[in-house]
Amino acid sequence: MLTIEKITSGYVEGIDILWDISLDVKNSLITGIIGPNGAGKSTLLKTIFGFLHPHRGKIKFEDKEIQDYHPYHLKQMGISYMLQEFSTFPQMTVRDNLSLGAWVFRSDRNLVKKRLEEVYEFFPLLWERQTEKATYLSGGILRMLSLGKEIMSKPKLFLVDEPSSGLAPMIVKEIYGFLKKIAEQGATILIVDQNIMKVLEISHYMYLIEMGQVKQAGPKEDFEGNIREIIRESLIDK
Amino acid sequence: MGVLYCLMSLGVNFIYGIMKVINWAIGEFFMIGAYVQYLLIVFFLGVRYWYIGVLIAALCTFLLGALVQKILIKPMFVGIIEEKMEYATIVTIAMAILFRNLAIFIGGPFIYTPPDYAPPTRIGPLPVSGNNVIAFIGTIIILAFFFYFLKRTWIGKAFQAVSQNRPGVLTAGIDVLKFDMIAFGIGTALAGAGGALLAPVLLVYPLCGVIPTVRGFEIIVIGGLGSIPGVFVAGLSLGIAESLGAAFINPSFVDIYGFGLLMLILLIKPYGLFGKPERSV
Ligand SMILES: Nc1ncnc2c1ncn2[C@@H]1O[C@H](COP(=O)(O)OP(=O)(O)O)[C@@H](O)[C@H]1O
Ligand SMILES: [Mg+2]
Repeated sequence: MLTIEKITSGYVEGIDILWDISLDVKNSLITGIIGPNGAGKSTLLKTIFGFLHPHRGKIKFEDKEIQDYHPYHLKQMGISYMLQEFSTFPQMTVRDNLSLGAWVFRSDRNLVKKRLEEVYEFFPLLWERQTEKATYLSGGILRMLSLGKEIMSKPKLFLVDEPSSGLAPMIVKEIYGFLKKIAEQGATILIVDQNIMKVLEISHYMYLIEMGQVKQAGPKEDFEGNIREIIRESLIDK
Repeated sequence: MGVLYCLMSLGVNFIYGIMKVINWAIGEFFMIGAYVQYLLIVFFLGVRYWYIGVLIAALCTFLLGALVQKILIKPMFVGIIEEKMEYATIVTIAMAILFRNLAIFIGGPFIYTPPDYAPPTRIGPLPVSGNNVIAFIGTIIILAFFFYFLKRTWIGKAFQAVSQNRPGVLTAGIDVLKFDMIAFGIGTALAGAGGALLAPVLLVYPLCGVIPTVRGFEIIVIGGLGSIPGVFVAGLSLGIAESLGAAFINPSFVDIYGFGLLMLILLIKPYGLFGKPERSV
């Protein structure tokens, strides 16, 4: 579904953060990316979603080359992206936050309403607090709101950056439950997380990225053997 | 009188809220609005249709503002994530000087006096200028429309969202660069409409935007940079402070009471009534 061919990318011309990265995301599977802090995982997602454009290489989504596309174009094509930093609007209500997730098809009122109901059904806690401003929500519910906002468009491909960061273990478990359900409802997911065990648990296929390069790639079974080593290394790295 | 300058403050605050750029040429868009209005009512529409003139003046300053943003300011924003606000702010200062000189070049250093929109009238026992009444009512109507637009429409909500979280707007699939351009146009159109409304009060000449700019920024400093509710509260308090000062102390020093209020507020709340310390990026 998504194929990345030898891209080199970064924030300024001449300074590359990612080096010749190639990666394959298969339809209706969950692909996980792990790697130490600063490895370039978020940079990779930003490059896929058009926040950054690769200096070299190609990105293909459903056989179209998308490396020069803008985020609004990619959203229309069926890609969504949950940012590592908060992606909600603090001074707006839960309802307005979710509605803005439907921006690309806002002219279809019935569809907006239908999706809103579906998301409320998916996250009943958001329904309960729909008239509250996002700034008053706790970390866990705010993360649900971020997820809800991005699945309003029923993405074919969902890029998820650090869904567990800053959350208590109980809530992390809940969030991962939601992600699994989103995948079951038909979304292909590319997920990045510091919580390596959680990524391993949910993914079918995994990539280990270090210093802007792919260090290891393979089905999750390949990673189960040396996962302790990877975790230890990433801890030492900090 | 404070309310009359609210459109200027709102124009600056709206652009700042969206792009984090202070448009120092706002007074020149006011001036351009005034010139357009003068041309329209003297040569084309007649003074009876001054309100159509205000709309056309607003439209012209909208288009000019959007164009200027696209040509001069947008190139200062490198990519989608990184922004160079300082450069863009300096561009607006250069723009102010350019527009003033263009006005002198085209219209000459003369003061044009548009005909009155309405004859003098009375509120109770007080005689008041009909132009002031019209400018006041016109301002309130424009403010009401602006608020409705911002709070109730999809585009208005998207503007609120842009001011609160730009990356979050991008992931929603909103073309943020287009919104920057439209926001700049709306901000300059508010000033242009102000210039057209106040043309018979402040008259039409190359520097006619200077006083409204000073008063507009007074309101912004009192209300807080970037705060839209702040504009209303500050505009009203400024008007009240001036009227009270004129009535109970001495009517010759009207401008001083406004600055007194400004000093007082800054002593108590350095970021203005509704302002926040600069957000870090
Ligand atoms: N906005 C930015 N501008 C310049 N460099 C950045 C920016 N964001 C991240 N970097 C750099 O890019 C590298 C990779 O960062 P990132 O992709 O965020 O890592 P990860 O998500 O794997 O922790 C880091 O060295 C970081 O310093
Ligand atoms: Mg990251």
